[in-house]
Amino acid sequence: MILLARESPMSTLAGKIQDVFSEPGCDKNQGKSEKERKKGCTKQLKPGAAAGGCAFDGAKIALQPIVDVAHLVHGPIACEGNSWDNRGAKSSGPQLYRTGFTTDIGEHDVVFGGEKRLYRSIKEIIEKYDPPAVFVYQTCVPAMIGDDIGAVCKAATERLGKPVIPINSPGFVGPKNLGNKLAGEALLDYVIGTEEPAETTPYDINIIGEYNLAGELWQVKPLLDELGIRVLACISGDARYHEVASSHRARAAMMVCSKAMINVARKMEERYQIPYFEGSFYGIGDMSDALREIARLLVERGAPGDLQDRTEALIVREEARAWERLAPYKERLAGKRVLLITGGVKSWSVVAALQEVGLDIVGTSVKKSTREDKERIKELMGDDAHMIDDLAPRDMYKMLKEARADIMLSGGRSQFVALKAKMPWLDINQERHHAYAGYDGMVELVAEINKALFNPIWNQVRKAAPWDEVSWEQVADRAIAAEAALPSAPLAPAAE
Amino acid sequence: MPQSAEHILDHVDLFRQPEYKEMLENKRTNFENPVADAEVGRVRDWTKTWEYREKNFSREALTVNPAKACQPLGAVFAAVGFEGTLPFVHGSQGCVAYYRSHFSRHFKEPASCVSSSMTEDAAVFGGLKNLVDGLANSYSLYKPKMISVSTTCMAEVIGDDLNAFIKSAKDEGSVPRDFDVPYAHTPAFVGSHVTGYDNVLKGILEHFWDGKSGTERPLERQAGDKINFIGGFDGYTVGNLREIKRIFDVMGVDYTILSDNSDVWDTPADGEFRMYDGGTTLEDTANALHAKATISMQQFCTEKTADYIAGKGQEVVSFNHPVGVAATDKFIRELARLTGKPIPDSIKKERGRLIDAIADSSAHIHGKRFAVYGDPDLTLGLAGFLMELGAEPVHVLATNGGKTWEAKMEELFASSPFGKNCHAYAGKDLWHMRSLLFTEPVDFVIGNTYGKYLERDTGTPLIRIGFPIFDRHHHHRYPVWGYQGGLNVLVWILDRIFEALDAHTNVAAKTDYSYDIIR
Repeated sequence: MILLARESPMSTLAGKIQDVFSEPGCDKNQGKSEKERKKGCTKQLKPGAAAGGCAFDGAKIALQPIVDVAHLVHGPIACEGNSWDNRGAKSSGPQLYRTGFTTDIGEHDVVFGGEKRLYRSIKEIIEKYDPPAVFVYQTCVPAMIGDDIGAVCKAATERLGKPVIPINSPGFVGPKNLGNKLAGEALLDYVIGTEEPAETTPYDINIIGEYNLAGELWQVKPLLDELGIRVLACISGDARYHEVASSHRARAAMMVCSKAMINVARKMEERYQIPYFEGSFYGIGDMSDALREIARLLVERGAPGDLQDRTEALIVREEARAWERLAPYKERLAGKRVLLITGGVKSWSVVAALQEVGLDIVGTSVKKSTREDKERIKELMGDDAHMIDDLAPRDMYKMLKEARADIMLSGGRSQFVALKAKMPWLDINQERHHAYAGYDGMVELVAEINKALFNPIWNQVRKAAPWDEVSWEQVADRAIAAEAALPSAPLAPAAE
Repeated sequence: MPQSAEHILDHVDLFRQPEYKEMLENKRTNFENPVADAEVGRVRDWTKTWEYREKNFSREALTVNPAKACQPLGAVFAAVGFEGTLPFVHGSQGCVAYYRSHFSRHFKEPASCVSSSMTEDAAVFGGLKNLVDGLANSYSLYKPKMISVSTTCMAEVIGDDLNAFIKSAKDEGSVPRDFDVPYAHTPAFVGSHVTGYDNVLKGILEHFWDGKSGTERPLERQAGDKINFIGGFDGYTVGNLREIKRIFDVMGVDYTILSDNSDVWDTPADGEFRMYDGGTTLEDTANALHAKATISMQQFCTEKTADYIAGKGQEVVSFNHPVGVAATDKFIRELARLTGKPIPDSIKKERGRLIDAIADSSAHIHGKRFAVYGDPDLTLGLAGFLMELGAEPVHVLATNGGKTWEAKMEELFASSPFGKNCHAYAGKDLWHMRSLLFTEPVDFVIGNTYGKYLERDTGTPLIRIGFPIFDRHHHHRYPVWGYQGGLNVLVWILDRIFEALDAHTNVAAKTDYSYDIIR
């Protein structure tokens, strides 16, 4: 076995995965027995069932928003070919992160090993693009034939004089979320703390788990700028390599996407004594809380106390401005029923935001949410909150029909199920083109919901064809009844 | 020199070379009495103001950039839709050359059409001799099965009587006595191409149904089950009529398309020149009298024809160029009602697919503001579809639209919240449209090829839907009717929206943070 002959890469990877699984920052994980913990924190994928992305994808999406780095995917064309530039993480400067680099390995490489090709690829990138760093992503095929990307990256770093960072997260090790964490590990091991910032201030923060999708970071940054708070590094939205490398000098950190990069936040606290809190930029109340927390942590770490006063003044002003702009929508949206199908932090942060404008949340998905997320949902929606775990398309269809919701907010892949169930839909995941963060983002979100709800096509969608005697509700009822009559088979998990 | 015998540059590149730039600049400065750039700029900016718009809209006599063509053009369009039919235009030949080039440029096909080549002599003494000789020559040269005679202004001004002339020509043996020569008077100074279409179609039906100008007994109507279908003047006739035939076939409807020019405007390249191809057979044309009902897709193209057919005892159902879900629903339901045929599942599925597609893309069109210009029926169809998509047809303009059209358009606006603040402009031209686009800007303009000047001047992206389309190829092969047709129109609109978005975001290192793969 090739795998056994070259034991190091896989065995260190296995150790890394165990390390990530025993994350002490995750309260859910701490509640488990040793044996349970070993099994990992993510559900086993069900063979034959529709499933979400892989660990490679998770690693790639977590790091690709570092915009000046060349992201090189070591593998056959599938991995980069299907994922190249498919996220709306925006850059305010370099566009190199959107260039698709891959070793595109072929049969010959599979037989004789792909390390030489990888090395030559790295060399060519450095010669032709001169990026501050090259990130090398491992994928299933080279991992299985035993390509040691760690060794190649080490050699390349030494010989070529540029940081070449191995991201050891081949697809088969697990789901997307694990990949997020392994990507974080790579940053902790090879990037963070390797450079020093030109200067530091008592107002330096890190924002972790924010990817600047649709430019959301930019809806928040002007407010931080106004308060004199400097984002030393955003990990990883619109980030530069140097910022991430010198992020260990920040005074405090905010963790945005709770499941993706908790290991980064926790280990940075452990190693560099950077305190962090978990917050959200979605919704007026959450946005204000996030600003308050940032100010509080900075003052605790020695920033002048007037920061908190200035923050409160800004919150008062911005909240008033946002409410004023939201007011025209409240009447139109009052009592409209919303079904949320999304993941993690958004399941509760968006709930609060939508309730603020008078929308009625009839259900929210919790598939990717932590226990804490679920607790928050209960707080917001009450104990009878309709929490949806794994949702197969046909169940979603049923759910939509039963909930009699007016609109569904979800990611791109659920969209099309919603449409078949004749449900208005609004994209709040990564492929969206509107930014919903901060006060401005909330106004934008509500404006978009308003537009989506009142789009004339929904009337058309819900009406029976003029020649049909039966309504769509009757059609849906029949479909559900027909399904109920079938012998029950284990349901496939929903495509995410 | 920038070019040599080995390296010839075409006009796109040649006049950009420094020598030519310098020469053109010298010419301008020394010989063209140039106005200072600042003054040109000042006047240009002034033409964008409300003040200028008011002056523009108070224009009484002059038409600038009309969005319509002449009756004889529509006449030729209708005539070629009949089997082996040669359109014969009685009048001056220059006009005929225009119709031929107009159709060739739109359909990218040869357009066969002859004229009686009237000259000054004919203008003074009447065109009888030209018609007599012309019919004889075209009959022997081009071996048609029928010659459809229409007129140009020249023949109309001197008052040539086609009925009498054709009789004389037959008396003189230009064509056999029983050879079909229907006719219609189609002066360009009345109406537009849609009127010409109407007149010729009516002329041909009258010829066959009413006893061929007194040479035979008029036909007696024996009501049957067939359905007549009239497309009207339509730049998408190739795609549309094929789609309509498919729908009829799928539903099992027995039909006659009156003026089926879908083949003659789309002949194959297989080594054979087809001067005539396809078309409604003369027998079917005569028998169309016995149909149960007639469907006209374009009310304003068939006003007289529809009245005439209704007068024969048929039910006539007219639409306004239906595009989209609700408009097509109406068409399909009427078809089902008239024929008593059920709507097949495959059509129902097509409907669901169109709705699905609209819903998939709804967010991108919703709330966008459009200007639309074109023929009366087309603009009604498109404005209806835009409102269905959640867009606002803010300015709708038809140079050949009248009061009835305007009232119908206002009624359409009133039927939807998306029609609020939208206005219909009957009888206005594209220079009016230019003022509208500057003073009350919209996101997109829908119109024919001539809209590219509006696009250039005002920066409003143009979606090419209409007639003629000269500078984009082959769109006439796609239907815009039926659910499939609605899908095509949706895609054309979306394509332009995305192109505009890409163009707005594609400056490297400046705006390309939004230059996205996934839209």
